[in-house]
Amino acid sequence: MIEGYPESMWKSIEKVHKTRERRLEEVFKRMEIGESDELLRKFHPDYKEDQKRVVKVGPSKGMKMPHEVADLLEANPLIDPSEIDLSNVDYDVDLLLIGGGGAGTVAALWAYYNGIKPDNMLIVTKLRHGDSNSMMAQGGTQVADRPEDSPALHYLDTIGGGHFTNNPSLVKALVADAPKILKWHEDLGVIYDRDEEGNFDEISGGGTSRFRLHYSKDYTGMEQMRVIRDESRNLDVPVLEFSPAVELIKDTNGQVAGAILSNLETKEYLVVRAKAIVLATGGFGRLHIQNFQTTNHYGATADGLVMAYRTGTRLIDLDSVQYHPTGAAYPLQIAGLLITEKVRGMGAVPVNKDGELFVHPLEPRDVEASAFIRECYERNNGVETLTGRGVWLDSPLIELKHGRGTVGKSFPAMHRMFERFGIDMSKQPILVFPTLHYQNGGIEIDNQARTSIPGLFACGEAAGGIHGKNRLMGNSTLDYNVFGRRAGISAAKTIKNVKLGKLTLDHVTKYRKALAEAGIKTERKAPMILPEYRGKEALEKYMDLGI
Amino acid sequence: MNILYYPGCTLKTTATSLEESALKATQALGIELVELKDWYCCGAVFSLSSDDLMHQIAPIRTLINVQEEGGDRVVTICDMCYNTLKQANLLMKENPDKLKTINAFLDEQVDYKGKVRVYHLLELLKEFGFNEIKKKVKVKLNGLKVAPYYGCMLLRPREVALDDPENPGILEELMKSLGVEVVENPLKTECCGSYHTVNRKEIVEKKTKQIVSSARERGAEALVLSCPLCHFNLDTRQLEAGRLPIFYFTELMALAFGLEVDFSEHRVDPKHLLEEKGILKKIRVMR
Amino acid sequence: MATKPEMAKIYIMGKEHQVPKELTIMGALEYAGYKYIRGAGCRAGFCGACSTIYRKKGEYKLYSDLACQTLVQDGMRLVQLPFVPAVKAKYDLGKLDVSKNTVLEYYPEIARCVTCNTCNKTCPQDLEVMEFIQAALKGDIEKSARLSFDCIQCGLCAVRCPADIKHYHVGQLVRRLYGKYMSKKSKNLEKRLKEMAHGKYDSEIDRLTRASKEELRQIYKSRDIEAAK
Repeated sequence: MIEGYPESMWKSIEKVHKTRERRLEEVFKRMEIGESDELLRKFHPDYKEDQKRVVKVGPSKGMKMPHEVADLLEANPLIDPSEIDLSNVDYDVDLLLIGGGGAGTVAALWAYYNGIKPDNMLIVTKLRHGDSNSMMAQGGTQVADRPEDSPALHYLDTIGGGHFTNNPSLVKALVADAPKILKWHEDLGVIYDRDEEGNFDEISGGGTSRFRLHYSKDYTGMEQMRVIRDESRNLDVPVLEFSPAVELIKDTNGQVAGAILSNLETKEYLVVRAKAIVLATGGFGRLHIQNFQTTNHYGATADGLVMAYRTGTRLIDLDSVQYHPTGAAYPLQIAGLLITEKVRGMGAVPVNKDGELFVHPLEPRDVEASAFIRECYERNNGVETLTGRGVWLDSPLIELKHGRGTVGKSFPAMHRMFERFGIDMSKQPILVFPTLHYQNGGIEIDNQARTSIPGLFACGEAAGGIHGKNRLMGNSTLDYNVFGRRAGISAAKTIKNVKLGKLTLDHVTKYRKALAEAGIKTERKAPMILPEYRGKEALEKYMDLGI
Repeated sequence: MNILYYPGCTLKTTATSLEESALKATQALGIELVELKDWYCCGAVFSLSSDDLMHQIAPIRTLINVQEEGGDRVVTICDMCYNTLKQANLLMKENPDKLKTINAFLDEQVDYKGKVRVYHLLELLKEFGFNEIKKKVKVKLNGLKVAPYYGCMLLRPREVALDDPENPGILEELMKSLGVEVVENPLKTECCGSYHTVNRKEIVEKKTKQIVSSARERGAEALVLSCPLCHFNLDTRQLEAGRLPIFYFTELMALAFGLEVDFSEHRVDPKHLLEEKGILKKIRVMR
Repeated sequence: MATKPEMAKIYIMGKEHQVPKELTIMGALEYAGYKYIRGAGCRAGFCGACSTIYRKKGEYKLYSDLACQTLVQDGMRLVQLPFVPAVKAKYDLGKLDVSKNTVLEYYPEIARCVTCNTCNKTCPQDLEVMEFIQAALKGDIEKSARLSFDCIQCGLCAVRCPADIKHYHVGQLVRRLYGKYMSKKSKNLEKRLKEMAHGKYDSEIDRLTRASKEELRQIYKSRDIEAAK
């Protein structure tokens, strides 16, 4: 091993070093819409028809989605309603927030600002408060605040990136609220990178027509989440950790009225009654769609989709999955982990095994990812690893373009990640390949974060319609703030007029019947809660003796 | 002349006027105090318990920095930092086995060789020469009757005293060189009550009354001292009418050199007294 | 792959396991049959859930790192610390004052720092922890915020500190103080907020929400893109 890479990769690495000087002036042309549409059809994993199927039950029956998602929707509940005593309520609150990431915490804060006392709220989460994709976001948050930019341009970029399938009223809310969110962050003490005059440092991302990504080095998500979580702790918002929701409860009037939780450590079930429920359960990276590695955190298993669907909400755009073009492809221990788009925003370019350019570095993510896949698997210009193939991201270019030390200063998280495995990304290129990153669609909401079922709100990655078929960089951290805030405000308003009827799990029983009627015979159970990574040998000898 | 300078935490937070006036005054004398690039909280009270070697680490780390920044001397203005650094230094010099243990513990640092000398600014000024100081005086402070006050940290224990612990005279000499009329105060080495100000402030109030009234009875219009904790106690815990302003020696130096001093940290405002004596007017005219 | 991977012998809480050498500690625990409930979060080095203390073969010192980012070594003896019961001060940021010793007021124990350097040796992010605590003690909020920025709040420093300082909570307060009171504010943002309050972009955005797909495609195609720096 030399500088972290095996000998077998060095022939290619030398080529990357050789071509760098010449490539400094080269700019690969952006694709025409016709060419990019063709590229997507041939190479984007979403277009592989045999990897999807139509879901056979529920309000969005007939909708195409990846097998892995349909498997969860066409699965049995974890609980047996007949074994749950709904009259024995453990927590009786105004507002239940399911999910302890960015969206859930923002919703809690805005519900508080709108009159709901912390004592009357409850955040429940399967891991710890803050364990979420929000904590891992790196690149930035889009806000059109510069004079040469406008929210209308932000709107246009967003809807174009989404292939014009986004819900217009949701995009309008997203871009119009953006400056307010940034101001709120300033007031909370979130540190964004700024110049000496106090103006935000801003960069562009794939598909953005202006520099409008605000960032905190490459720890943007972590900086935002830490502050938001700290604020909720100062307010003493109650949080139940390691206690995921496993089913939603309705009342006899058809409204969502609570949830069943499972204490993962004691295995007790808990009954929560609530006047309003905000679903902020995040994404689905740990479903490993089409066996892709993922950037997502341990708990991203689409639990919210399953539970909401059983209550009768509609889902949207689940046929569209975002693969981030640059997931780490080497070494094996960090396979799939996010290399932020900002690396490309600051000058690194993707090159193939011969050190040559093959695509513009900042096409929208789906186009960029498809180009990488084509380069590796049709043109066979990728670099082989033990587990697949990858292309180089020429990160040393950043030092050339912005001065020595830029990589360490702007990308401490990335630099640290590679350094731990012996690679200095300011001196050597890094190997990347598309990785499963974002759930573009989700639970259908309106611009007040309401779902079609009274009492149920959804926000963050779990909600759909904001990004259409493809999300732009910097719109997700914005999304969870904008719709988390709207969900909190909406829920607070709704709570004032709610009268709950008798609690029931009939909808679960009905769902089981619907599965049977659709001819679905399966041992599968959902929600998944946590993915299975235990070693094969250990599992083969697994025997629960009930001790 | 330049010398490495250790400020300590207090001078950076709650006693900023002591540092500000000290830097101004020393600059006027041509003495450059060069702040150490890296220094650590000396630990004050904790390191004074010398049986616990762990608490000596902070002062020794700072002395290593002095050594590595190429200095064999460091000056400090805060009395408590002076006392702490000097005692830690002395402990190391007299106990080579303890020095060895600390050096072994600080395995990521070079060894402390034990050669740094710790100065208080008053000692440095004495070395500089009170006659030289007199030459730089632009605004005579005559008419101002001030009683010097030493407190404890400059004088006790005897091993680290910068003057005779029973009858010190260094502040008096400095004051005379500035043209100030010195008022003798027999309670000038009496303890002000120190950290009792936190949870037994009645002790400090009693000591303050004793010290200040003793000075007032002898005709003092103000006291002059060095330690920021004594300053806090004597300045804020006088309860009677006719409160005396408490000066830092560096503030009187700055005034004597015709420089402006910010008195906003003082509870008992000295400006009336200084106006009365025409001192502030003389400084204004000079500008 | 027919060839068996090279194995390493490690001890998980004292129990011996043979695991493939290329695995991280987290991967090794799962390989050995442990299903993570506590002790795993982002699996990428951002969240501090997988704090681990371990010893190497033949050595007496204890090391600390993140399970998801650390490779196993033959002879490694390890345990994870998924929780630290540290007190976090409660404060109303809007009522705080950066000019005084605010940090000392909420975390007075930082004055107990003896500069023993244990926190620096423990930090898996290689931060200058002792230095950011010392900076906070000196009232240098800017330096403290800057040095503590990459903290993932794993808690390992707090567990090993002889003065019982909770460095990661101190860092959080310092950074919020800096962000709110010491960052210069953006004039552009103020201006944009005013413009939007007056509805400057309302009609343009409304027009876009009503446009057909074809119209949008045209407008989108003809937009000019700011050149990369």
